[in-house]
Amino acid sequence: MTGKELFKKAVFYEILQGLGLTFKHMLFGKTMTEQYPREKPSLPDGWRGAIVQLRYDDGSEKCVGCALCEAACPSHCITVESAEREDMPQKRYSKRYTLDMTRCVFCGFCVQACPVTALASSKEYELATTDKRELIMEMDDLLKLGDKYFPIREKRPQYTEDRFNFFKQNKASGFPVAHVPVVNVPIAKKGAA
Amino acid sequence: MELGITILVTVLQIAAVLGVVLTHVAYLTYAERKILSDMQDRLGPMEVGPHGLLQPLADGLKLFFKEDIIPAGANKIIFSAAPILVLVPALIGFAVVPFGRDSLQIGAIEITPYITDINIGLLYILAFSSLGAYGILLGGWASNSKYSLLGGLRSAAQVISYELPLGLALVGPILLSESLSLTDMTVAQGGGIWRWFIVSQPVAFVIYMICAIAETNRLPFDLPEAESELVAGFFTEYSGMRFSFFFLAEYANMILVSCIAVVAFLGGWQAPLPALEFIPPIVWFLAKVYFLLFFYIWLRATVPRLRFDQLMAFGWKVMLPIALVNVLLTSIVKYFLNQWAEK
Repeated sequence: MTGKELFKKAVFYEILQGLGLTFKHMLFGKTMTEQYPREKPSLPDGWRGAIVQLRYDDGSEKCVGCALCEAACPSHCITVESAEREDMPQKRYSKRYTLDMTRCVFCGFCVQACPVTALASSKEYELATTDKRELIMEMDDLLKLGDKYFPIREKRPQYTEDRFNFFKQNKASGFPVAHVPVVNVPIAKKGAA
Repeated sequence: MELGITILVTVLQIAAVLGVVLTHVAYLTYAERKILSDMQDRLGPMEVGPHGLLQPLADGLKLFFKEDIIPAGANKIIFSAAPILVLVPALIGFAVVPFGRDSLQIGAIEITPYITDINIGLLYILAFSSLGAYGILLGGWASNSKYSLLGGLRSAAQVISYELPLGLALVGPILLSESLSLTDMTVAQGGGIWRWFIVSQPVAFVIYMICAIAETNRLPFDLPEAESELVAGFFTEYSGMRFSFFFLAEYANMILVSCIAVVAFLGGWQAPLPALEFIPPIVWFLAKVYFLLFFYIWLRATVPRLRFDQLMAFGWKVMLPIALVNVLLTSIVKYFLNQWAEK
């Protein structure tokens, strides 16, 4: 053992180094703690929180009731009951849309599957509740969440407007019916040949 | 009549010292949590009161209202007596600590800055502090649990091993001040920082600090309550107020050993420079005690726990010989100094 090493041992050099480090952290260390309920974390844009329903800029819901989300959902938490709109025949909507948030795995497959981008992943993550039934969300709840997280709405496409006008004009006079020529095809009888 | 007043004043003094010490104990837990979390880049208690300042109060209330459980296999009498046996020696030592210089004179009544100044003050403190080990040992044994028993055994072994170098380290200041009274010891260090015994006895001071940490079962010597191995050591089975007694005793002991270190090595209530004597002595005393307490917590945040055999080897093979050599050298130097002074 050299004299230098002995001296270092005698004055507890390594412990002093450690004390210096902890003291430095006390004075200049950056606090890592997040005071959670008062201080919310900033989430990245790709955050996949609760699934929400979106609206067009005129307030009408985007969903067309195609149930592709239901088909894509790996945990079978989406149920879509689709129907035709009374005022606009051929235009479908979801009569009842249920998203069971207790079973949702936040994979975002439904968002990818939606043909009209009516679904989106929001940054809502505080889903804790005292009543589990609150998490089985209906269309109204999903739209409300969507309004909260997506205030900027997509403009309604014009072609839809055109079709509305088309239907509005022809409602009184009756819809044009396409002429389909009827062709009689003789049905071959069994055992005739 | 005069005796009655004396007794009344003494009782009030005891109550005041006890109140101050227990308040310090409560806020020492808070300070420890805050300083530790600062050093670990955390925030520590923040919820109760502004910056968690009422946390000790909340903790105390919680412990007070908790159920008091005595394990079925425990020896009930010793189990109940052990926490008191730990707490009383921790608090009783404050009776001889001189907190300030000047007595307060109200009419015929003289209020001293210490409860009593017995001429064997240091011996008294050492005697009582080793009594505290009995409480730990008995508490560990009476719990009828293997963790408690192991914790108690470790504690007894540790306290006995470190009691020796602790006492020998204090022999240095005793030799230099030629008194066992804490007040005389403080007076002997008057006149400036170079008269403090830490200058003439640096080795004894280091030995004393290390042994004091071991005596109070603090990190890095907290083997009796090593939570990773022994759950909580000797107070594993304790709950509620009994548990808080052990806790109070630990922190009161911390303050007590810091007080003794300040009196024996850092000049008690003396100012470091004669020019700074306008600051009240009690402020100097408290500042020094607070610094030592901070040092304890600082060390806790820095150093990991020792292994038990390392602890024992360190105590017997390193601390004891160095302390003995220190006593020997101090005695020789003091003898020749006295010879020289007589000529």
